[in-house]
Amino acid sequence: MNIGDARAEIMNSIRTHLAMSAPDDVLDAPFNTDPFKNSVPLAAQQVVQLFKRNVELVDGHCLVVNGQSEVEEAVNRIANGRGIAVSGSAVSKQDLFTVGVGVTGAQAGIAETGTLVLDSSVERNRLVSLVPPIHIAILDASKIFLTLGETLAALQSGAELSPAITFITGPSRTADIELTLALGVHGPQELYVIINEGTITNQGAPA
Amino acid sequence: MNTETFAENAKAALNDAQLRGALRKATTLFGIRRREAAASLSNWEDLRNEARAIKDDVLLHLDRYLEAFVSKAESRGAKVHWARDAAEANLIICRLSVERGARNVVKSKSMTTEEIHLNAALEGAGMRVVETDLGEYIIQLAGETPSHIIAPAIHKTKRQVAELFTTELGIPPTDDVGQLTSTARHTLRERFASADVGISGVNFGIAETGTIVIVENEGNIRMTTSLPRTHIAVMGIEKLLPRFADLDVFLKLLPRSGTGQALSTYQSFITGTKRNADDEGPDELHIILLDNGRSRMLAHPVTRQSLACIRCGACLNVCPVYQQIGGHAYGSVYPGPIGAVITPQLIGIEKAAQLPYASSLCGACREVCPVKIDIPRLLLHLRGEINQQRTNHRKERWAFRLWAAIMLRPWLYEKTAVAARLMQRWFGLPLQAWTSGRDLRPIEEESFREHWRRSR
Repeated sequence: MNIGDARAEIMNSIRTHLAMSAPDDVLDAPFNTDPFKNSVPLAAQQVVQLFKRNVELVDGHCLVVNGQSEVEEAVNRIANGRGIAVSGSAVSKQDLFTVGVGVTGAQAGIAETGTLVLDSSVERNRLVSLVPPIHIAILDASKIFLTLGETLAALQSGAELSPAITFITGPSRTADIELTLALGVHGPQELYVIINEGTITNQGAPA
Repeated sequence: MNTETFAENAKAALNDAQLRGALRKATTLFGIRRREAAASLSNWEDLRNEARAIKDDVLLHLDRYLEAFVSKAESRGAKVHWARDAAEANLIICRLSVERGARNVVKSKSMTTEEIHLNAALEGAGMRVVETDLGEYIIQLAGETPSHIIAPAIHKTKRQVAELFTTELGIPPTDDVGQLTSTARHTLRERFASADVGISGVNFGIAETGTIVIVENEGNIRMTTSLPRTHIAVMGIEKLLPRFADLDVFLKLLPRSGTGQALSTYQSFITGTKRNADDEGPDELHIILLDNGRSRMLAHPVTRQSLACIRCGACLNVCPVYQQIGGHAYGSVYPGPIGAVITPQLIGIEKAAQLPYASSLCGACREVCPVKIDIPRLLLHLRGEINQQRTNHRKERWAFRLWAAIMLRPWLYEKTAVAARLMQRWFGLPLQAWTSGRDLRPIEEESFREHWRRSR
């Protein structure tokens, strides 16, 4: 038994079995494929508000601030003296498992679900968003898309997909014991999203 | 428990009041959440139709999409392995682990690895294996198997979990779910920190980009696929989607159908290996493509649709049979309506001949299925196959001959009806197998013909 055999044999089995039947179970029901069908154009501020509402709906916290100094102020207020690890710089395994707060950026947001998008080409240590008990994510308001479909399209618009892309919607959760919700089972118990609205004060559409 | 003792398993489950209470609570709650989540989208039916069309396309061209997926994934640094069956998959995974001098293996929840009984194989190869999904961890400690596709430990009460943790992990007795969760967090962190190999399943493989997508709520999958040096992903060959953009449809359907969430907490989109050696993440990504009976299902238009399943668990929650007996009674890795159709096809119909009958054919599963699998039709198809294989038809043939003879002769029919009535009055009808669980409507004291003759 070698690996080359397995590949050829499975492919052969797929082709033979497919050839044994006409495709007459294809459902072929009509559907509307327009990805923008349910997408209503919203003003930038409305998109931010929708994003915020959806983050809060999944037990996250969301602050809207204006400018870099307000971002830093908010991070320090939330960290409240606890040790911080940052995703952009190298983080030792030791630090990763002992600091109280992980701070990351987010390369995009999805308003309709309150989701953060972390791309490995920028966030080289995404575990900072997972291992410490508190995760703070900083997101430019101009990078919030309205829908999942728009976000997926934007992720693909570059040369090729980054090796690891992570979507985060709220803090880590489980309901595996008697369906009782518990936050922070493996990942953070608390998630703070700081939206920097400084980038859309000119009322421009999302970049 | 096994698939051949389904009737006895079911009877035992029906007498387990605690189990039935837990099932009632879980299936009701999941059902309500799914309904609300589906209603939150105005185009739910469009999405289901689109999802099925995408899956039909994948299955009818599975060879080509697999070629595309493999060449894309390998061009990005992943190594793809092909496994004809469970034994071959286990062999490959054990060999990869042994070759890397691995000792500690962390696993994230995957029905496919349950299907091939990977844990036993790894332990046989000298590995220390730990399940890191909370529900899976609980049942691993208890030495049990999952009872639900997405909520593996729903049959356990928090008291039982607490007792288990007290015995196995030495924590003081507690009734607090938060406390239990945090115990698991701390215990499993040590295992993550020292793990050599991480093994996950795959929810979707994207042919266009070679990406694997894994969906979860806890964060253990992210750790499993980021901390150890080697990541092994086990994937059924049917898990493909043609395009990255197709995720727009499936990431709307899967969480809503499973837990009623608009989106699960974490999605990991993994495309090959990292670009810089000092970046976070494993050095190696191995993808195991598993056939294990799947390609066979392509042969028939009815059975082929079983491969469209995205393992959301919605059909379990609405099934009147699953609601009463839970997952263990099926004796198979995949329980519920979808289990009753997949299991006989995977392990052989003769070994699971009772499962296609574990249904009232009410069609609730078909109504909720996000990819519109016609499960009742599949069940009937499998029942047909079982009947074809049965050789012992003698009694049945005689019964129907007798029935035909009576129905063709009105005078004989009338006599038989009178005889049945007398028998009912004196002894009861010999239909105990039917009436032990149901009521039989008694035969009227006067037949229509008698009534007609008398009152004319």
